[in-house]
Amino acid sequence: MSQSPFIQEEEYAGGKFNWGLWRRILRHARPHRIWFWTMVCSGLVLAGVETMLPISNAWLIDEAVAGRTDAAFMWYAALYVILVTIFSALVWLFIRAAGHLSTAVAYDLRAKGFGRLQELPFSFYDTRPTGWLVSRLTSDCTKISSLLPWFLLDLSWGSSFLVGISIAMFILDWQLALWVLVIVPPLSLVSWYFQRKLLRSSRLVRRTNSIITGVYNEGLMGVRTTRALSREEESLAEFQVQSGDLKRYTIRNSLQSAVYLPCIISLGAVGVGMALWKGGLQLQEGSSLSLGDLIAFMQFAVLFSMPIQEIAARITDLQAAQAAAERIQSLIDTVPEIRDTPDVVEAIRRAPAGGPEDGGRSDITTIEFKHVDFWYKPAEPVLLDFNMRVEEGQTIALVGATGGGKTTIASLAARFYEPKRGDILLDGVEYRHRSLHWYQSQLGVVLQTPHLFSGTIRDNIRYGRLDATDLDVERAATMVNAHQFIQGHDGGYEAEVGEGGIRLSVGQRQLIALARAVLADPQIFIMDEATSSVDTETEQLIQAAIDTVLKGRIAFVIAHRLSTIRAANVILVIDDGRIVEQGTHSELLSAKGHYWRLYTRQEAEEAEASLGS
Amino acid sequence: MFDRLHTIWTLLEGQRLRYAGALLSLIVASMLLYAVPIVPQVVLDAVLTDDVREGSLPERVGLWALGGRAFLAENLWVAALAVIGLTTLAAIATYFRGRWVAIAAESVVCRLRDRLHNHLNQLPCRWYDQAETGDILQRCTSDVDTLRNFLAMQVIEIGRAIAMMIIPLPIMLLMDVRMTLASVVVLPLIIGSAVYFFGRVKSVFREKDEAEGRLTACVNENLTGIRVVRAFARQEFECDKFQERNDEHRRLDYRLYAILSWFWSASDELCFLQKALVFILGGYWVAVGTLEIGTYYFFIAAVSMYVWPVRMMGRLLAELGKAIVAVDRIHEILDSPVEQVTGVLSPPSVQHPGLIEFHDVDFAHGETPVVHNMNFRINAGSTLAIVGPSGSGKSTLINLLLRFYDTDAGTIVVDGVDIKSLDRQEHRRRMAVVMQDPFLYSRSIHDNIALSRRTASDEEVHVATRVACIHDSILEFEEGYETVVGERGLTLSGGQRQRVAIARALLQQPDILVLDDALSAVDTRTERFILEAMRDRHGRQTTIVIAHRLSTLTAADDIIVLDEGRIIQQGTHESLVTEEGMYRRLWDIQTTIESTEEGAA
Repeated sequence: MSQSPFIQEEEYAGGKFNWGLWRRILRHARPHRIWFWTMVCSGLVLAGVETMLPISNAWLIDEAVAGRTDAAFMWYAALYVILVTIFSALVWLFIRAAGHLSTAVAYDLRAKGFGRLQELPFSFYDTRPTGWLVSRLTSDCTKISSLLPWFLLDLSWGSSFLVGISIAMFILDWQLALWVLVIVPPLSLVSWYFQRKLLRSSRLVRRTNSIITGVYNEGLMGVRTTRALSREEESLAEFQVQSGDLKRYTIRNSLQSAVYLPCIISLGAVGVGMALWKGGLQLQEGSSLSLGDLIAFMQFAVLFSMPIQEIAARITDLQAAQAAAERIQSLIDTVPEIRDTPDVVEAIRRAPAGGPEDGGRSDITTIEFKHVDFWYKPAEPVLLDFNMRVEEGQTIALVGATGGGKTTIASLAARFYEPKRGDILLDGVEYRHRSLHWYQSQLGVVLQTPHLFSGTIRDNIRYGRLDATDLDVERAATMVNAHQFIQGHDGGYEAEVGEGGIRLSVGQRQLIALARAVLADPQIFIMDEATSSVDTETEQLIQAAIDTVLKGRIAFVIAHRLSTIRAANVILVIDDGRIVEQGTHSELLSAKGHYWRLYTRQEAEEAEASLGS
Repeated sequence: MFDRLHTIWTLLEGQRLRYAGALLSLIVASMLLYAVPIVPQVVLDAVLTDDVREGSLPERVGLWALGGRAFLAENLWVAALAVIGLTTLAAIATYFRGRWVAIAAESVVCRLRDRLHNHLNQLPCRWYDQAETGDILQRCTSDVDTLRNFLAMQVIEIGRAIAMMIIPLPIMLLMDVRMTLASVVVLPLIIGSAVYFFGRVKSVFREKDEAEGRLTACVNENLTGIRVVRAFARQEFECDKFQERNDEHRRLDYRLYAILSWFWSASDELCFLQKALVFILGGYWVAVGTLEIGTYYFFIAAVSMYVWPVRMMGRLLAELGKAIVAVDRIHEILDSPVEQVTGVLSPPSVQHPGLIEFHDVDFAHGETPVVHNMNFRINAGSTLAIVGPSGSGKSTLINLLLRFYDTDAGTIVVDGVDIKSLDRQEHRRRMAVVMQDPFLYSRSIHDNIALSRRTASDEEVHVATRVACIHDSILEFEEGYETVVGERGLTLSGGQRQRVAIARALLQQPDILVLDDALSAVDTRTERFILEAMRDRHGRQTTIVIAHRLSTLTAADDIIVLDEGRIIQQGTHESLVTEEGMYRRLWDIQTTIESTEEGAA
């Protein structure tokens, strides 16, 4: 129940570069390796072209200085144009390749992540807010996949360009090359130093930014509460602390860049100055260096800072995205706790067509809990040695105080969780030996707060059985007394329910959820009766609907209404993870135990149609 | 367009001097940067070749500044020093440009954020009724970010591109008119094509954003309904649905990259052609002897300096529209009128239960009338219960009493004073409201409760939580009262939230307490316990209770039954159950279950 460490938006593994993680991320690019290598090769060729440009410049200049406009001059001019055209063509190619690689990897990551989320147990969801999970599949995937191709390109281009420039300079004049290369160590050092600082300050900016978004959101959600409490000034003062922080951090981040770039420019100038001075001296002395070579050297000196800057920036990007990479990778790596065992998978593979997919028995006539222990946290067992047997046509009402374990029993029955110890048997077969998908297809579950998907009323009911005809849908609605209100509703069955069913009242949503469950025609029905208040007349409809739905099935009901409880074949009074009493309504009343106390207290004091919670 | 720019100009108030300073540093830096290639030019012409020609004005100035031909030939290091020195000066100017812009832009944006927050706190509830939370949130975050990018980066990038393009013009013209022409002839094409292109692909970007929105919505919906998905074993169906969205997103992504690949490669080609033109024509003129090698070098260096910023400018100009749209969207919030101050009076009696009267009150939501001709009175210290089906106007009465809305006609009088003439905040401070779905702030439980009375001791907080039957549950949390709840913390159940909110209301010791279906998610025993505790305060506070379970209302001094915005019945429980009407009918329905049970038991 405590705050989960997972929802910390900005968690970083100490800024250490995690090679293993990135290698695993790179593995997602394997199916798209054509594009992967296209990026790497583009970078190599690009570096070659860019190294050649100043050299072709130098050749042309030497021709011009010599006063020649002959075929060689034309050839050098043409060479330049050819080089830049190759350059542009490469740009076209690598943007295409980057597009394919990043889009395809993002697509795969999202699909894998989404698929995994469909398999993970509810215990996974208990600790993670929906919004947090959504950003994993959206912003995290986008972030990583868009980084990947540029990292490949810049790394292959940057390193080969550095090598290319160095080789070219050494061939032209190794002494001058050394003079120009003097700037490389300080350039690298400065880039490394500032990138680290920028990384840290930009994290602060992002974190504060997300806090501010949270504060705005909270302000909007709680606008009436803030007014009712008259704390407008207080809330503004609190906001100003955050917005002031954001301003400070952003300025700090900008100032770091404002220092970094001028440093790089100045260092580049040192290279140019060196080339001009030492190269000029050589020219004065009349060495083999030509005027064109000198100009090429000066251009190289300026170009040198580019790859260093880019490589440093890409590595920083990776580090900044490391948390995102960790989150998405660990999501994909999470092994669902509840899934088919290898034996079951094998059985499904071998099962004949028709009948249940695992080839087992198709009907369920009894469910039995045998010596079941369960806990969410080892220190706090919820169920201990719990035993229960339910047969076809029976309704089991679970009654008792909050936290007693009623919801846990229902979740175990639905195999949303599995027992930590003990067995749950379907006609004598442990349910973990059956196909999860088959079993859950036999369930009808209605939750306390009914959730609808955006779409029409018809779509929502049909969710219970996808191949149901319109007539089936309407019949199901009629069975639960929902038909009338749906027809009276603006748009009828085709009315949009809005996100989460927002356009319908809570009572109407409950009726539709019931219709959905009826349409599925499940063998086992599990229901958590709603407690939230709906107006009296709708309440009456819902009660009647529930009676219809429960008939003839195995049903577990976490009951709050006396009418439901009374209609149950067996009432289990649950307290502290144990059945403290068991029996029918009249049996339990005459036993004058827990149930009798719960019941009569209400009768005597209030004549209230509700019990427990 | 012009008034939008004016709006931006007003936003800059107080920071304009910094922007001017930044602009100045920008110009200085650009000038220094263009002075740099003059140094090698001078060296090439005056020292390294035996060019005896006079040279252009900039070149002669350069030569003079470097100490003259003879001196320079002996001391070539001076040239290196000049290159480094000039660049360093330009770098320093660049630093100041960055510094001033950063401070100015962040100050403007910080002030804007505060203004937005403050304004949102003062907008009337009617405004919120027609606004969408997601949309407002987006305006406050991403639109503000767009504006920030504009103020902190785009303005300066555009300014830099213009400076880099214009400043070398006179120098180049002084050096060589033919070469100048050759150096700028492709530029209009570069800018024009970028503006045109990014104007055209806007729709593709938008489509992609929309596809992304749909993808996010799909994931979001799946995850919020994950229990339903599992309950019906619909994982495959959901994966198919998701794949459709994912496919669509991928298709648009490919398309966007395809378009961008054409643009960037074509514009790269254009930029390089501009350079090639300078390079080849200049080379030819050097070869035929009409251009000095140094001047040629200057042009090559200069064109490399401005061609990329100019290309970027084309894109920025095309995206200028975004900032303007953002400003518009932000100002739609800021220009919405705030809750009007209609009264400044303090409530006449505080720390006494309030006497509340509704006189002929009418109220409509837009065209839909919600409350008609409402007349009733709640004596100081008594309890009024309000009953009625959903949509009968119960909560509206509370909203009117709290002045979330003002009445269309009629008056609400508390302790003899029309609430419209009261200071809103002071009026609200006398009241405590608990709603069906109460809101908790994302902070500790203790803070959430103590919000209503800052001066309360821990002991007082605990008394309130005990009465609200939540004390023990809070202690069961790992961090007890310090447990953070809400969006960034522990999610409490509906009943827990209601009880925390009740504790918050009780701690306030209000003159008027309103429970708007506030116990709906609390179990009956707890509800009874809480109501009993409230009864002890009978006479010390005026209480209004709204509930569906009639049995919780039987002890009220007075009950009104609403239907379609009118009072259709009024009286005590005893009198209403004997009367023919809605109350009796509702009571009967609720007790039928009871009676059938008795029969069966």
